[in-house]
Amino acid sequence: MYGTQSKIDLAIEYKSQIPILRPSIHSRRANITVKFQDIYGFTVEGNVDDVNVLNEVREKVRQQGRAWWALEANKGANWYLHTTIGEGNALKSSLKFSALVNAITLKKLIRKGIPPVLRPKVWFALSGAAKKKSTVPESYYNDLTKAVEGKVTAATRQIDHDLPRTFPGHPWLDTTEGHAALRRVLVGYSFRDSDVGYCQGLNFVAALLLLVMKTEEDAFWMLAVLLENVLVNDCYTNNLSGCHVEQRVFKDLLTKKCPRIAAHLEALEFDISLVATEWFLCLFAKSLPSETTLRVWDVIFYEGAMVIFNVALAIFKMKEDELLLTHHIGEVLNVLQKTTHHLFDPDDLLTVAFDKKLGSMTTNTISKERKKQEPEVMKELDERSKRLNSFQMDEK
Amino acid sequence: MATIGHNNLNAKLVLLGDMGAGKSSLVLRFVKGQFLEFQESTIGAAFFSQTLAVNDATVKFEIWDTAGQERYHSLAPMYYRGAAAAIIVYDITSTDSFSRAKKWVQELQKQGNPNMVMALAGNKADLEDKRKVTAEEARVYAEENGLFFMETSAKSAANVNEIFYEIAKRLPRAQPAQNPPGMVLVDRPAEGSRAASCCS
Repeated sequence: MYGTQSKIDLAIEYKSQIPILRPSIHSRRANITVKFQDIYGFTVEGNVDDVNVLNEVREKVRQQGRAWWALEANKGANWYLHTTIGEGNALKSSLKFSALVNAITLKKLIRKGIPPVLRPKVWFALSGAAKKKSTVPESYYNDLTKAVEGKVTAATRQIDHDLPRTFPGHPWLDTTEGHAALRRVLVGYSFRDSDVGYCQGLNFVAALLLLVMKTEEDAFWMLAVLLENVLVNDCYTNNLSGCHVEQRVFKDLLTKKCPRIAAHLEALEFDISLVATEWFLCLFAKSLPSETTLRVWDVIFYEGAMVIFNVALAIFKMKEDELLLTHHIGEVLNVLQKTTHHLFDPDDLLTVAFDKKLGSMTTNTISKERKKQEPEVMKELDERSKRLNSFQMDEK
Repeated sequence: MATIGHNNLNAKLVLLGDMGAGKSSLVLRFVKGQFLEFQESTIGAAFFSQTLAVNDATVKFEIWDTAGQERYHSLAPMYYRGAAAAIIVYDITSTDSFSRAKKWVQELQKQGNPNMVMALAGNKADLEDKRKVTAEEARVYAEENGLFFMETSAKSAANVNEIFYEIAKRLPRAQPAQNPPGMVLVDRPAEGSRAASCCS
């Protein structure tokens, strides 16, 4: 076996020490920038307040771990692995009352965060990855990676190009071993679904999956379930049509849920896709701090892709006052970038994202919106490609 | 669109070109004076701004650095719409990236702002021993198509500030007056309102 089952040992998780800062320097603390590694090995640059927030977050993660263990003691080991989500009808008939209680408990619990040690197991079971894997022979992943070894395609060339450009400087991802693991996952997937092949952005998603899942094979199945079941179709294919659809749905949602922001941004001629495209394609992996991103993913894997809309809306909503004061596209981008980069406390974001005031959204309403936008997007993309082809004909 | 307030000009600039040609590296060199051997891949696009002094005026560039992979092409109009300038980047060690640059030029000529200042940048000029596209070939192409051309190296910094400086110099100053009479700018109904609110 060539390392495909090897555990990624992120010793840094326990080793990294965040400096504890003394109150004596409070007066000038806002000016001090410190660099350190977070629990997933990413270098974070922040001021002393950020460091303190991160320390508080660590403590909250520990408390949340205790909540999970307590429930485990109460409801039995792995209770959460046998619970399905309560969207609509599924629950009514088939499940007993206790299962319903469990489902509600689990939904709440997951919104408060899955402890990092449990993430691989919980994600794998609840996302549907385990089920997907169970439908093919045990050796599927190894056979796939062996079969495609040494093959060169447009996708493999692009993957090779992007390996060192995926979280450069990360203590594991940016090593020969890390590159090789990421390569096998991405190349394997490019052969599994040749319509997707390789799309830039997936490198960041797969890299984070590797860091969380610890084994390459599990990361591969998480990527598969994400693209094939969780996200809208065609997010990453050919002309990113799925992503275009999502952007339109999001624009409509922002207009409905945050009309003042939407109107202000429109007056500035700020198209929200300018910033939201990256959020949707990388699932925030490039914009939010790692633990915050993974807390968002906790909920995505349990509740579905509409969570991306909740979170994206929340980012705008949190900064409503500041955004309304902007006069220029550059300022809007600065506000949003500064906000996302400093969201070290996942609860700050998720509380707003799931606040009743934003109004509830269901997978159903989002699906309806998507169906509404789809024909228009397809028509536009089609017209555009016709126009581009016609220039090229002119030249010949 | 370039907008004017006193002696200050705001100009939207977009970088287009093949994946890995060095678009982000050129921007990073220009904006922060830095170079990274491996620059994180750009998804969607990234935004930067930088101000240059040209003669007695300043030009504030609002730079959109776009993703290079072919399938991101469908997002590009959002970034080049209303741009006052574009830098089309190719990698002198890749003929494919040069062909792709030509396609971008073609698209901008048909779809972009007609007054757009276009620059062609042959990047990675420090990799002379791996060169596949001659400077002569690119220069001839640029001349035929009304672009100005420079070979650049984000790594050594050669010609990076120069290309932005040259664009700044070429930006039309009193834009509305310079438009020939009878020219219809159908694509940009909001141009007037934008100019009025630009003094941020």
